[in-house]
Amino acid sequence: MTNVKMVRNVLDKNDRLADDIREMTATSNTVLFNMMGTPGAGKTSLLEALIPELKKDYQIGVIEGDVATANDADRIAALDVAAAQINTDRFGGSCHLGSEMVKPALEELDYQDLDMVIIENIGNLICPAHFDIGANYNIAVLSITEGADKPVKYPLMFRESQLAIINKIDLLQHLNIDIDEMLTGIKDINSKIDILQMSAMNQNDGVELHKWIADKMD
Amino acid sequence: MHELTIAQNMVEIIEEELKNREQLDKKVMEVNFIAGRLNAVVPESLKYNFDHLKQDKDYLKDAELIIKETPIVIRCNNCHEETTIDEPIFRCQKCNSGDIEVISGKRMYIESLEIE
Repeated sequence: MTNVKMVRNVLDKNDRLADDIREMTATSNTVLFNMMGTPGAGKTSLLEALIPELKKDYQIGVIEGDVATANDADRIAALDVAAAQINTDRFGGSCHLGSEMVKPALEELDYQDLDMVIIENIGNLICPAHFDIGANYNIAVLSITEGADKPVKYPLMFRESQLAIINKIDLLQHLNIDIDEMLTGIKDINSKIDILQMSAMNQNDGVELHKWIADKMD
Repeated sequence: MHELTIAQNMVEIIEEELKNREQLDKKVMEVNFIAGRLNAVVPESLKYNFDHLKQDKDYLKDAELIIKETPIVIRCNNCHEETTIDEPIFRCQKCNSGDIEVISGKRMYIESLEIE
């Protein structure tokens, strides 16, 4: 028997393509936001609330990742911004977006002409956080209804993100959930992360998120 | 669930390595894999996916996947101490500062192969 030492990172290919994406978008001055989170956390609703205001100041593109259907891309296209859909059933029903899927979608959007591209990743609190897709900022979205201990159960996404959004906060009064436990859990995972408690249904709440994004565009 | 993608990449990398060494006619008996704990790889799931994929490859059919987990080690930017964490609380174990860098426990790689 021969022992062959190799030390090969299994996500090498993905990470190299992510570097390509970073280089491409840096050249064109396009800022890439990767929105990740649980299915049903309200990611698409957040975008629907956010985009009409954001598009007054910026040229926006959206990439929608789902296992199947173009439902979300249709909702975004209705807002009159460029939208591309990635369906991972073509990639074996993958539970996350990889760089090899994001790169052609960016090209389809003519990203060079855009100020920002928001990627709505596949609804999943685990897998998307493992795959670098070349984004400048990662945003983790969950809803208050999911339970206070969700962040500490699935820490990597919160570790990798610059912003955590706790959505559906208007439902808190109907639930037996300790919001402080959730906030402490997120800060224990990542002391530098920003946290927004909001409801995508409440227009005033969207202002804070708009500010956070605009701040990253300067 | 990301274990399937990891297993697919492993098979690709092993095939590439054997091709480079012109040893595709040999049999791999052992694959030594290092998984940083931050990757939350479920060993049973990774083995299941790997064992399924290896059936299609003559050089890999008899290979056993051996997974070694490495701990999450952090370095504190405040007191500069390096400590290991067992819970998802990314705070310095010495001074409790949250201003830390993860220095190991994130990487995932094939460390070595045993070839017959």
